[in-house]
Amino acid sequence: MADLKRLPDELQLATAQHVRYIQSLDTRKDEYDYWLTEHLRLNGLYWGLTALHLLRHPNALPREETINFVLSCQHESGGFGAAPGHDAHMLYTVSAVQILALVDAFDELEKRGTGKLKVAQFMAGLQDREKGTFAGDEWGEEDTRFLYGALNALSLLDMLHLVDVDKAVNHVVACANFDGGYGVNPGDESHSGQIFTCVAALTIAKRQDLIDKDRLAGWLSERQLPNGGLNGRPEKKEDVCYSWWVLSSLSMIGRTHWIDREKLIDFILRSQDTVDGGISDRPGNMVDVWHTLFGLTGLSLLGYPGLDEIDPVYCLPKSTVERVLGKSM
Amino acid sequence: MDNHGIARVARTARTEEQRQQDLDKIQKYKQLDDAIRDKTSRHAYDDPTLFPLTSKLLRLNPEYYTIWNVRRRCLTSGLLSRPSAGSWPSTASPSTSPSATTNPSSAVSSSSSSAAIPPNPASLTTGKSGTTADVESAVDSTDADSEILRSELAFTVPLLLEFPKCYWIWKYRKWILEQAILRLPRPLASNVWEGELALVYKMLVKDRRNFHAWGYRRYLVARLESADLLGRSLVEDEFAYTTKMIRGDLSNFSAWHNRSRLMFRLLDERGADDEARAAFLDTELNLVQEALNVGPEDQSLWYYHRYLISQVIGSKGMPTITPNLTDGRKISYLEQECEFIRDLLQDFPDIKWPYEALLEYALALRKLRPGIKGEEQEDDPNFWLGKLRKLDAMQTGRWNDVERDIERQLADSII
Repeated sequence: MADLKRLPDELQLATAQHVRYIQSLDTRKDEYDYWLTEHLRLNGLYWGLTALHLLRHPNALPREETINFVLSCQHESGGFGAAPGHDAHMLYTVSAVQILALVDAFDELEKRGTGKLKVAQFMAGLQDREKGTFAGDEWGEEDTRFLYGALNALSLLDMLHLVDVDKAVNHVVACANFDGGYGVNPGDESHSGQIFTCVAALTIAKRQDLIDKDRLAGWLSERQLPNGGLNGRPEKKEDVCYSWWVLSSLSMIGRTHWIDREKLIDFILRSQDTVDGGISDRPGNMVDVWHTLFGLTGLSLLGYPGLDEIDPVYCLPKSTVERVLGKSM
Repeated sequence: MDNHGIARVARTARTEEQRQQDLDKIQKYKQLDDAIRDKTSRHAYDDPTLFPLTSKLLRLNPEYYTIWNVRRRCLTSGLLSRPSAGSWPSTASPSTSPSATTNPSSAVSSSSSSAAIPPNPASLTTGKSGTTADVESAVDSTDADSEILRSELAFTVPLLLEFPKCYWIWKYRKWILEQAILRLPRPLASNVWEGELALVYKMLVKDRRNFHAWGYRRYLVARLESADLLGRSLVEDEFAYTTKMIRGDLSNFSAWHNRSRLMFRLLDERGADDEARAAFLDTELNLVQEALNVGPEDQSLWYYHRYLISQVIGSKGMPTITPNLTDGRKISYLEQECEFIRDLLQDFPDIKWPYEALLEYALALRKLRPGIKGEEQEDDPNFWLGKLRKLDAMQTGRWNDVERDIERQLADSII
């Protein structure tokens, strides 16, 4: 902690340390925490691999092993669990699709998996056709996170036609609040994480016209605190992950210039562990791969040198999204 | 993997002894996990030894969502009675029940097959199946079900207190509650559900902003109000609850937010006419003014103030709590609130929030009085924008855009 107080202004991105940190994550099997977090394994692979792509070390994890692991998490239903033996759920299915997009391996789904149609049908089957909402799995629980995940992965698979996009859009609109933000469900308080999911879902559905952009951007830019970090809701503490949720939302509606970008860069850099790699929620705390990714995606959106560009809608490198969606630069 | 607020320690800090302790813990954890997987791979959900194993593992790791699913399958594979023609009436399938959202293709998945028991159509129309024996057995199974469901709720309480932000625990609890609707007579089910309000109360005392707990509360209330349970409105109680929360902590934005969402129904159910609505608005403005006098730096209060003013002004296609205010009344409300805020500035000249409100309200006033620009500097939005630029340089990019927008509106004679 004492060291942090004299961190130099010219603090650099610790690229090599971050790469080593991410590579080390699957070698920690002698740590209890490794086993307690097995329910996040597939998400963790997506977070780590995306971070490595942004750091321009896309091959730092072996491609073949990555694909093998992803496919080992698939169920006959087409859905994916967090790890082999874990039940299928929307959250892991989206991560699986994102990882396969990253390593350009959708064809492996046909060769060795259930085929992409079944993956898409698993997600489409979780939509409530009356309300437009999405559940996470067969046990219910609806959340705009799942709705966004479905639109994200289905559009990457070119299978959006399997769901009722208009009804999904109507539901997102019902989650809007007076402050321009969105909540988990209609009536819920605006929260930056849910705002990201709702704005991205509306962007995928090509319905940004339904967003009160100035009001929303005002609320989002008021998330920045004097130390440069962003919080997720009024009167809460700053956290590096909001560098993604808030900033990606601002980026999608063209207003990242509404906050102090230099101060945010400084806050994220100060949250790095420059010795062992990784980024934490705020300076001086324990790092994890989730905050590492969202610190890096934040820096990427801020145009920090040495990082590849992130797509604010899909949370994948721009180059990946352009390849998959068939757009050219 | 998702560390929040945990201080960083050097990775080399673990001694050999600690490493060994970790290895022991891992071994025990994996043995438990393996024992469960062994049974679930054989679909032995009715194996009486499986259920207690899930309790053990979930106490170690409530984030292990698959184990919650195993626990559900144990309950529906024998521990709970099967809802039948003899079970209690349920008026509708709950919106969050698995049957409403089940993936049609999930049946082919080995580990996600079986699962939910849809409400039996026969139970929708009758609560009785005829014979006394059936009724008695229904009563017996109801007692057993009631006990199991209550014990499931009790099981999750210490876990929720320790992991208040774990989605899977909240989700499991909701599932148990929906089972109560499916399996228990309505008064008993209502009783179980009402007990939940006490839990959520406790959770919100512990963390007044926990959005899981607030969302859970809204879910509870909506279901309690439905014909499946109490079948009556709780809006007055809920509104009173937000008052209580606000009195305890003025900066509880979650409570202010809930208040703002409740007031539409509150006024409708009170049958409030225009006069009553205006009186309600006055009371709310007074409440937030009182709070602002104490905490002018509090964003939550300013959002609520701006929310109330948005109700005064109204916007196209959006409902407001005071739909029939004349432009004259709107103007006088705005002037009154601007005056209050300018008074506040005498004591607190360096806080940015009042200036943001004054900028917004000055623009609104101009729109309401086309052609009348006002002589005073406080009628000029750019005057307040200048203050904001000085007090909040971090948002300079925003203020530049706002300035351009004001110029455009002036050029187009919108303001």
